[in-house]
Amino acid sequence: MFVMTDIVKRYGPTLVLDGVGLAVKAGEVMALMGENGAGKSTLVKILAGIEPSDQGRIEIDGKPVTIRSPGQARAAGVGYVAQELSIIDSLSVAENVFLGDSSIGIMRSAARLAEMARPYLARVGLDYVDPLALAENYSVAERQLIEIARLLSRKARIAILDEPTAALSESEIVRVKAAVRAIAADGCAVIYVTHRMPEVFELTNRVTVLRNGKSFAPMETATLSIDTLIEAMLGRQLGKMFPPRAAKLGAEAVRLESCMAPGLKAPVSLSVRSGEILALAGQVGSGASTILRLLAGVTPLGSGAILLEGRAYAPKNVADGIASKVVYCSDDRKRDGIFAVRSVPENLSAPALSSISRFQLLSGSLEKGHIRSIAAKFGLDERYFSRLAGNLSGGNQQKVALGKWIGLNPKLLLVEEPTRGVDVGARAEIYKHLRELADDGLSIIFASSDTQEVLGLADRIATFFHGSWCRWSTRIPRPPKASPAT
Amino acid sequence: MTTKTPTAERSIRIPRPVYSLAAILAIVAVAGFTTPSFATLDNLFVVIRAASLTGIVAIGMSYITISGNLFALSASSLGALVAVLFALITAQFGFAAGVVLTLLLAGVSGAAQGVAISLIGNPIITTLAFGTVFRGLAALFSGNSILRIESDLALWIGTARPLGIPTQSWAFVVAALLSWFVIRHLKLGREIVLCGANPQAAIASGLRVGVVTSVACIALSTGVAIMAMLTVSQFSQAKADLFMGYDFDYIAAVLVGGIALRGGRGSPLQAALGAILIALLQNFMLLNGFSAGLRMTIVGFLVVVSISLFHVLQGKSR
Repeated sequence: MFVMTDIVKRYGPTLVLDGVGLAVKAGEVMALMGENGAGKSTLVKILAGIEPSDQGRIEIDGKPVTIRSPGQARAAGVGYVAQELSIIDSLSVAENVFLGDSSIGIMRSAARLAEMARPYLARVGLDYVDPLALAENYSVAERQLIEIARLLSRKARIAILDEPTAALSESEIVRVKAAVRAIAADGCAVIYVTHRMPEVFELTNRVTVLRNGKSFAPMETATLSIDTLIEAMLGRQLGKMFPPRAAKLGAEAVRLESCMAPGLKAPVSLSVRSGEILALAGQVGSGASTILRLLAGVTPLGSGAILLEGRAYAPKNVADGIASKVVYCSDDRKRDGIFAVRSVPENLSAPALSSISRFQLLSGSLEKGHIRSIAAKFGLDERYFSRLAGNLSGGNQQKVALGKWIGLNPKLLLVEEPTRGVDVGARAEIYKHLRELADDGLSIIFASSDTQEVLGLADRIATFFHGSWCRWSTRIPRPPKASPAT
Repeated sequence: MTTKTPTAERSIRIPRPVYSLAAILAIVAVAGFTTPSFATLDNLFVVIRAASLTGIVAIGMSYITISGNLFALSASSLGALVAVLFALITAQFGFAAGVVLTLLLAGVSGAAQGVAISLIGNPIITTLAFGTVFRGLAALFSGNSILRIESDLALWIGTARPLGIPTQSWAFVVAALLSWFVIRHLKLGREIVLCGANPQAAIASGLRVGVVTSVACIALSTGVAIMAMLTVSQFSQAKADLFMGYDFDYIAAVLVGGIALRGGRGSPLQAALGAILIALLQNFMLLNGFSAGLRMTIVGFLVVVSISLFHVLQGKSR
């Protein structure tokens, strides 16, 4: 029914999509999978008219179409639900359903609009929702479903859902899945972008995998196992992706005792030993990242106590944390991880200005030694030293964002989403270097919503769900040979 | 990806000061050929002195811009206040006390503005308000009259030409080199640059963003104080409406010099070049009898063109 071929897209020097193809039949749910940075979101944004492609063709029902704006996409029958919700809280549910629909006009009465919205809401399982109520009264899951109702109201024949369940709980996901099945049953071609394995196996008919900007021929979901799918995404066996675990652990480095902080719903107690990599597993809003921010001094401690090497530790701000050799790398390196307009060496020495200067005077030789040792520890090529950090690839930017802390010889490294937007090769390298640092005695706590990363890298896992710590896993199976149902 | 060769991401870039230098040479060439009175020794001193006083303030202003705080709109008013205070103190306690106390007061006013910017978060609004306060205080302290000083030392500093070069220009050169050294070689200078490049990342790296903002404001206040004291010394008088309307010149020098508005890039030397460029252009237009309106239009236009040019160049290099 619809075919994209030879799609090419560059961002500056980076080739994001390198001749990608995607074909979906009416009534079919096609999973679009791939690692972070594989180009999934870029591909669907091209189809939705949000990003123009540099090359490539799109055909719908055998006829070539041009899609270079959201309006053209809508006219071609493409509906798009973005990762970030586009529901306007201060408008009514019905107004949100018909948002941006110029055929509605401004003269419709609210009651008339509500009547028009009802059948679409019912189709996605929102028959109990009052179309006249403001959207802000409804949960994230319900608002996600309102977005799907919007697709229906526009008579979209191709529906793109970009990680619709990323911020939802299990019971909420069930409702989204039901809505997706309903629109597919109506003859819609559904493109379903997700990281969640169970959804792929329960919901989709076929899977298209993107890897390093290239696409692979679609596979029938029924013929796949989780392992084959992961290997297709990674381009290698999972076992080779991750370094071996710690052989022996040192003394306890950090201990949290019944800690409460904004973002947590129940007190958390946990500890890390030196040389250990602890994973805090959980989706957005699970509270996993709150623990990192608490330790880093970004979020204040509400109640409870933190012990750093046996001594009470209560950082008031990030500088306090750094002074205690506790360092933190957020999940948004563009915002606060790198200085994009400055050179790589200046980035690497930024937190360590005191140690590269004598009497307030910067020392070129001290700085050179400092950045060389970081580069060696983090596998960063010295050829990049003349470059601005913003001009590096995602993987190298992440190495800079992480590496700048290594020069301080930290005791505890806190990392949020260690490999977001990082390609496969650099991911494996980052895992390897993190493990090497741990083997040298560093304690690492990372928060991640990427299940493979959590299972592959951590010595222990603490799972978080909706602001509560819920489970410890010490013996971790690897690689996961689980059946699709789990 | 590490397998990619760096050359794939490299692009050729011409340093921004090269454009400013080229523009300076162009004006000198055009003026030299078309305007006989331009290439005289007397006129050269006029140009250098004009560039020097604007340049000293522009160098201070570049600290504000590089530290990520856009511009201060209080420089000219602070200049008037400082001039009035300097004249009052010098008349009462002598020249040396005048210089020391004036510098001290200027530093305090800079620190106050820095703290206020950190709290309010908007340098433009904050310095606009402070500027009004400064101008008002200048009027209050001077009683709206002309204050005269009688100091031979001051007069010598205002008019002398050691080694044939005006004292103002010596001060300009020293200020430029010192500012460059601070930005380039001091730990504090690196902090200023990093805070301007990305304040969020600076905070996350444990850098002192608030301190940096105050230091930048103090740098500007110091530049303003030196400029104001040199002016008062030259004419042996001060009044509350001094330097009215000069703020745009200081900002224009920074922009024409090619210092990026977003902060974190550029050098004080570029502001110095920008000041020379604008002084040359003004002088050339004056000698050719351009009306005040036309001069204003042309300088404003030059600023628009240079911002656009640098913006386009930046887009290419990204």
